[in-house]
Amino acid sequence: MPTPAEFDQMIKSGEVIESPREMTPEYLRELKHTLIVSGDTELISAPAYYLAAKRAPSINAFMTGIAIIQDELAHAHIAYHILEELGEDQEKLIFSRDPKSFRYPYAFDVPLDSWTELVVANGMYDQAGFCLLGDIHDKCSYGPWKRGLNKVMAEENFHLRNGRTWMKRISAAGGSAKEELQRAVDWMFPLSVEWFGLPDNLKMHSTQLEYRLKGLTNDQLRQWWLSTVVPYCEQIGINVPAHKETRDGKDVWELDYPFPCEFDAQAKRWDFKQPISWDDVLVRWRDRGPRNAEMVAMFQEEFHKFRKTHHKNGS
Amino acid sequence: MTQRLWAALAEVQDPEMPVNLVDLGVVYGIDEHDGVVEVDLTFTAMGCPASEFILEDVRERLLREDGVREVRVNVVWDPPWTSARLTQAGRDALESWGLAV
Repeated sequence: MPTPAEFDQMIKSGEVIESPREMTPEYLRELKHTLIVSGDTELISAPAYYLAAKRAPSINAFMTGIAIIQDELAHAHIAYHILEELGEDQEKLIFSRDPKSFRYPYAFDVPLDSWTELVVANGMYDQAGFCLLGDIHDKCSYGPWKRGLNKVMAEENFHLRNGRTWMKRISAAGGSAKEELQRAVDWMFPLSVEWFGLPDNLKMHSTQLEYRLKGLTNDQLRQWWLSTVVPYCEQIGINVPAHKETRDGKDVWELDYPFPCEFDAQAKRWDFKQPISWDDVLVRWRDRGPRNAEMVAMFQEEFHKFRKTHHKNGS
Repeated sequence: MTQRLWAALAEVQDPEMPVNLVDLGVVYGIDEHDGVVEVDLTFTAMGCPASEFILEDVRERLLREDGVREVRVNVVWDPPWTSARLTQAGRDALESWGLAV
């Protein structure tokens, strides 16, 4: 195992880390944490998307929805598999953790109740995933993960395509279909903005950046996301509470509402007149949202039931 | 003209894999009469989750060609697609992406 000074030097010189033998315990801890967030996010998106994909308007749309879910499960598998190689017990991670200790973005705790909400999730949540994973794919100092993401990026593109194609189609249909789309965007856009976490001025120190587990800061990732989502929504005639400004010759995306602010998860409604603190947001995240327990139970319950019957039969 | 149409479809990427439709070997035939293009096309699997996107992309790309006013796509399943239909370029693209073909 390298000394902390030797390890710092390896990271600084751009070396790719290939096995636990080459890392310090601090790096291992941070890498595991980052992988758990990634695995949990992909895993929980499966039940979240499934509950909405059931409402697909055609057989082909249903197949697309199901294929996306299959992709997400495969991406989760990549992260958990690497965690196993790093000494974690995959089965325990997935099936024995308390729902509240899963580390995925709060957005997935708010139910997707229609095909329209599912395709907005594909257009916005998967775009957030694309930015986060694209950055890791580009910069990550841990080789096995960086390489594992090669295919993930192509597949996330397919999810985005589904989101964007359908959003455009629904918007073009006009009338109540377009109104439903606008309502979905109204609550899902700010949740996606929140996805990237604390703003840089409140996050004094990032171990993930220091270890090159990722390359971009929270605000840089958020800007990247805004630079793709805002123009697309404007192009298809959907309103979003953000706009572009030019500052020092550079494009900067500004939000048109206080960030962060109050969210009613049951009503799926933001109160832009009610700014809150990041401490309040962290409390909401920690308490988790309406569908957390139900979604985790979706894959945990059957596992334990099967375990029990299996055991009873003495096999 | 059909040669130009084949070249046009060679610009249409599969939505899931980094390979174009011609190198993937899913385009079975292109016919053109008086600006009406007929395409025989298959999918790599009957449950292809990207089929609607592919049909849309084929239509959209061919309609951008001069002299094309209508595109009819026939989805065919005979002969079934197998990996033997990949061109060498398609094979190389998929292999470099990490797919065994």
